[in-house]
Amino acid sequence: MLRSGCLWLLRRRPPAAGVAVKNFGLRKVASGVSTPGSTSPRALNIFDRDLKRKQKNWAARQPEPMKFDYLREEVGSRIADRVYDITRNFSLALDVGCGRGYIAQHLNKETVGKFFQVDIAENALKNILEMEIPTVSVIADEEFLPFRENTFDLVVSSLSLHWVNDLPRALEQIHYVLKPDGVFIGAMFGGDTLYELRCSLQLAETEREGGFSPHVSPFTAVNDLGHLLGRAGFNTLTVDTDEIQVNYPGMFELMEDLQGMGESNCAWNRKALLHRDTMLAAAAVYREMYRNEDGSVPATYQIYYMIGWKYHDSQARPAERGSATVSFGDLGKINKLMSQEKKSQ
Amino acid sequence: MSGNGAVWGRVRGRLRAFPEHLAACGAEAAAYGRCVQASTAPGGRLTKDLCAQEFEALRSCFAAAAKKTLRGGL
Repeated sequence: MLRSGCLWLLRRRPPAAGVAVKNFGLRKVASGVSTPGSTSPRALNIFDRDLKRKQKNWAARQPEPMKFDYLREEVGSRIADRVYDITRNFSLALDVGCGRGYIAQHLNKETVGKFFQVDIAENALKNILEMEIPTVSVIADEEFLPFRENTFDLVVSSLSLHWVNDLPRALEQIHYVLKPDGVFIGAMFGGDTLYELRCSLQLAETEREGGFSPHVSPFTAVNDLGHLLGRAGFNTLTVDTDEIQVNYPGMFELMEDLQGMGESNCAWNRKALLHRDTMLAAAAVYREMYRNEDGSVPATYQIYYMIGWKYHDSQARPAERGSATVSFGDLGKINKLMSQEKKSQ
Repeated sequence: MSGNGAVWGRVRGRLRAFPEHLAACGAEAAAYGRCVQASTAPGGRLTKDLCAQEFEALRSCFAAAAKKTLRGGL
C-alpha cells in the first residue's frame, strides 16, 4: 500500500499548522516608513528562501525543463512587448529572478545593450536560453541586489516577486539600482491565481480532516501593488492585470507542472503532508466543480503587470494648481476655439 | 531527494498513476464532488465526514483500479 505521499518538496519540517488562516489568500502589507538598505519595521518572513532556492535548482535540473516553461515563456514575451512599446533603447538592463532568461530571448541588441540576469538558483542560470544580447549572470537574492545606485536603465522582473518575503524592500532595491528616468517593468502572480486549486484543497481537507491549512501561497492584491510601488518611490505607475487560463487533464497533472516550474510551496506555515485521501478528494472536487466541457480542468493564473519610472526632471509632472488657461466647461466649444485660433494666426 | 532517489522515484511513480485510476472511477468521483459542492451552497455547512459514504465508494473503486493495474501491468 502507498505511504502517505509527501507532495511538496521539503527539507525541514516546521511545526505543523493545522489551524485555519485568517484573511486566507491575501497578503498583509507592512506599513511604516522604511529607508533603503534597512528592513521594514514589521518585516514579514513568510517564505523559506533557502527552500525556494533548492526547489528552483531541482526544477532546473529536471531532464526536460522546457516542458514546464510555457507560462514563463508567455509572460516573458508579454513583458518584452511592453519593453518594445517604450520608444527608447536601454544600454544596461537587469532581469530580477530571471529563471532561464525568458524575457531576454525576445529582445534584440538594439533595444537592450547588455543584460544582467539575476536569480537565486544557479542551475537555472547554467541552462540559460539562447539570446543575441550579451549577458552577465549573477546569483543574488531579489531582496539583496548587489549593485550600486543608479546603474540600470531598465529593470524587468517576471513571475518571481511573489516568493519575496519583504516586497516593499525588494521594490525599493529595484528603485535604488535604477538610473533617474529608468523604468521598471514587472509581472507577478496576483490574487486570483490558482483559486480553483486552493478552493478544492480547502474543501477536501475540511471534509476529510476537519480543518484546512494553506497550500497556495498568499498573493498581493492589486491595490496593494499600487501603494507598494508608490512607496518605493516610483512615478507614473501603470498596473494592469491579465488572466491566463491553462487547461489540464486533472489536478495531479497541474500539481506536477507547478512542481516542475519550481513553484512548490515554501511558506513556513505549510503543512508537511498532504494525505493521499485528501488529494483524491480534492481531485474529485476540482473536477466536479470546475471542469470544462471536454473534461479538462482549468487553472487560472492572474498576472499583474506593473510599470514604474524613476523620477527625472524631464518627466511630465502635474501642473501647478491655478495655472489653467482654459476651463473644462469650454470643452464643448473646443471646435469654435480652435477655428478662432487658426483665424487669429 | 537524497542518495540516488530510488524511494522518491518509486513513490512518484505510484503518484503518477493516480490520474489513471481516478479516470476509472468517474461516477464515484462525480458523486463525491457533487456532495461537497452542495455543501457550499448558501445555508450549507461543510463538516468533517459530511460526504464520508461517497468518499468510501470512491476510495474502494480507486483501490480496486490500483490493484487491477498492479496485477495487470508489470
